[in-house]
Amino acid sequence: MIAGQVIARLRSQLWSAGLCAVLVATLSLASAAPHAVTTNAAGEALYRFGRLAADQPLRGERESGVHVEGADAACVNCHRRSGLGAVEGRSFIPPITGQFLFHPKLKNPEDLDLPYIEGARVNREPYTDETLARAIRKGIGVDGRALSYLMPRYAIDDDSMRSLIEYLRQLTAKNVPGVSDSTLQLATIITPDADPLKRQGMLAVLNEYFAEKNATTRAVSPTMRRYRKMMFRAQRRWQLHVWELTGSAATWEAQLQRRLAAEPVFAVISGLGGKDWAPIHHFCEQSALPCLFPNIELPVLGENDFHSLYLSKGVLLEAGLIASQLRERPAEPGLRRLIQVYRGNDVGAAAAAALDAATDGSGLKTLHRVIKAGTAARSELAAALKGVGLADVLVLWLRPADIAALGALAPASSAIFMSGQMAGLENAPLPPAWRMTTRLAYPYDLPDLRRVRVDYPLGWFTIRHIPIVDLQVQADTYLACGLLSETLNHLADTFVRDYLIERIELMLERRVITGYYPRLSLAQGQRVASKGGYVVRFKNPSGAQIIPASDWIIP
Amino acid sequence: MLRTALVTGGLILAGISACLGASDALMPGHEMGASTLTAWQNYALPDISLLRESGQSVALAPELNDGRPVVMNFIYTTCETSCPLSSATFSLFDQRLGGERDKVHLVSISIDPEQDTPARLRAYAKKFHAGPEWQFYTGTLAASVAAQKAFGAYRGDKMSHSPLTLMRAAPGKAWLRIEGFVTPDQLLMHYHELFASL
Repeated sequence: MIAGQVIARLRSQLWSAGLCAVLVATLSLASAAPHAVTTNAAGEALYRFGRLAADQPLRGERESGVHVEGADAACVNCHRRSGLGAVEGRSFIPPITGQFLFHPKLKNPEDLDLPYIEGARVNREPYTDETLARAIRKGIGVDGRALSYLMPRYAIDDDSMRSLIEYLRQLTAKNVPGVSDSTLQLATIITPDADPLKRQGMLAVLNEYFAEKNATTRAVSPTMRRYRKMMFRAQRRWQLHVWELTGSAATWEAQLQRRLAAEPVFAVISGLGGKDWAPIHHFCEQSALPCLFPNIELPVLGENDFHSLYLSKGVLLEAGLIASQLRERPAEPGLRRLIQVYRGNDVGAAAAAALDAATDGSGLKTLHRVIKAGTAARSELAAALKGVGLADVLVLWLRPADIAALGALAPASSAIFMSGQMAGLENAPLPPAWRMTTRLAYPYDLPDLRRVRVDYPLGWFTIRHIPIVDLQVQADTYLACGLLSETLNHLADTFVRDYLIERIELMLERRVITGYYPRLSLAQGQRVASKGGYVVRFKNPSGAQIIPASDWIIP
Repeated sequence: MLRTALVTGGLILAGISACLGASDALMPGHEMGASTLTAWQNYALPDISLLRESGQSVALAPELNDGRPVVMNFIYTTCETSCPLSSATFSLFDQRLGGERDKVHLVSISIDPEQDTPARLRAYAKKFHAGPEWQFYTGTLAASVAAQKAFGAYRGDKMSHSPLTLMRAAPGKAWLRIEGFVTPDQLLMHYHELFASL
């Protein structure tokens, strides 16, 4: 009990004040879980993309004459995919799922069985199709009052209106997969090419986090449907499903679909990938399944994707950091070629392509030197570096074994960059001769600046005797668990997958304990939480001390 | 005359178009039209540099003190609720200024500078048909926070921001602070009042 209170307090301290006090006290409404089911294409086109039945753009106007049109006019912008609305500063966007719009008014407001949405008016006269159409077209609420100035008055034909209202009704459904009265099912995904040590480190953190969560959670949260009976927090046990993929990447999506059908989960937390995360990303989007903050170096950045959230752009960010340095360093004249070295079976190929794109127009001739997978480092490296001279920028997308093997070779170029993330950050086994000339892309906060934030998970691991095999991966895993836990506290009983993502977007920036990252932030359309990094170099010919060679860069 | 006297007093409510507060702004789904609260305020400009949407680094103070009247707000480009409304309002206001728009400086400062690169701001400016008189600014997070704090606009994170417009007739004059959703016509009215007071 005391431990639970302490944890609850710690959690609440991680977020700034405000919503927290209200929400930590939020209680359980166990089984009335809505879930978005979209079978109404015309309604969805209007709600999400601002298209009317006749494929015309939706148009709206506020009383001041400010127009909106098409996708900018779509309901989803404010009311969100879940239909459960949002809070922005002092503006409250109400939930507009059928469950909220059409709920009959009760004599005793405490008998309402609606899920908890902060600030929602839960006991008013229900809308009818007619009054709802009037609200949307004329901005007059069910009570006859004018709606918010934020809400445009829409010109919508009768057919489109019927589709929209039907869509709003459907936006509320029951039986969210992976959620029972007592348990929340969660999965983590590991690809077969993931690093075995990192896998061990990540799973140790996940297992301990889940065990501790469950040790302080009531076995069964009471099924509370009435506000007046809300006496307990919406707590559920967390059950972890480890989905270990096998075989070739082409088969992963089908494997995941089978796992999801056999073990329905509410969301995917953390995870570990190797070269290719695209099949998992695609699976999460197709299944409308939140996939939260996996440990990967090459995220997929789909412009309109929604369900996969990443902590960092990984090697793509590193490519941006290096490009930014190259742009800002005309002080190194005479550079003619950009030579990038990577293993054929690793994320370096994608990183090198990103760097090519980012330096397009720089006048540098780009060359890729690809080392075959599985070959001995020394001879292959010698071949890859052959002919590299002072007029070349050399970029190494290599792992520690290859980096260590550079010792046999002399650094020929004076403009050498390498991926910090792939090489092991400040622990990269870079030979002394290379240390003073090589700059590392460093997509994290500097060690001295992140120390306090990383000490928090480090202490947590140490007290629980979790072996530290890769602190960055384990700290990120712990961060992912913490973000999920705190967001779920704020969701209360509103277990809707899209709403989970929306709440993370809303709350993430308030997080103080952000581990390796100086700051995390998301919003609609933003799927990567940490935006920048440094370029650093080693301070000494040996040791792990690094010093910044740049300011914090947002490429 | 009266206004000059009020300005010297620092933060003094000069006019309340309608009450804006928790009572109406938080009323789910209902607000009393485009409610605003106005006040006159003097602000010390922070010594910071920002990046224009063109990518050019500029110091904030000379940027605001070039002699033109300034109409300013804080936005971020992935904001889907209040910022598009504020920006559309600026756009209509700008349009309704007609030929006078060349004398005005519209300023929109990003409160999400790590996301809002100059390129993203350029795309955003284009979407709202911003002419050369309307510029968008980003920069380091620290610079954006300093700018927000200098104008009493900082709310801790971008998701907590509230609509705010600031208007000043000329360097050295007080700022008119307009909280809440101002309409293009209200903005135009404030603008003309500002000049009548010069």
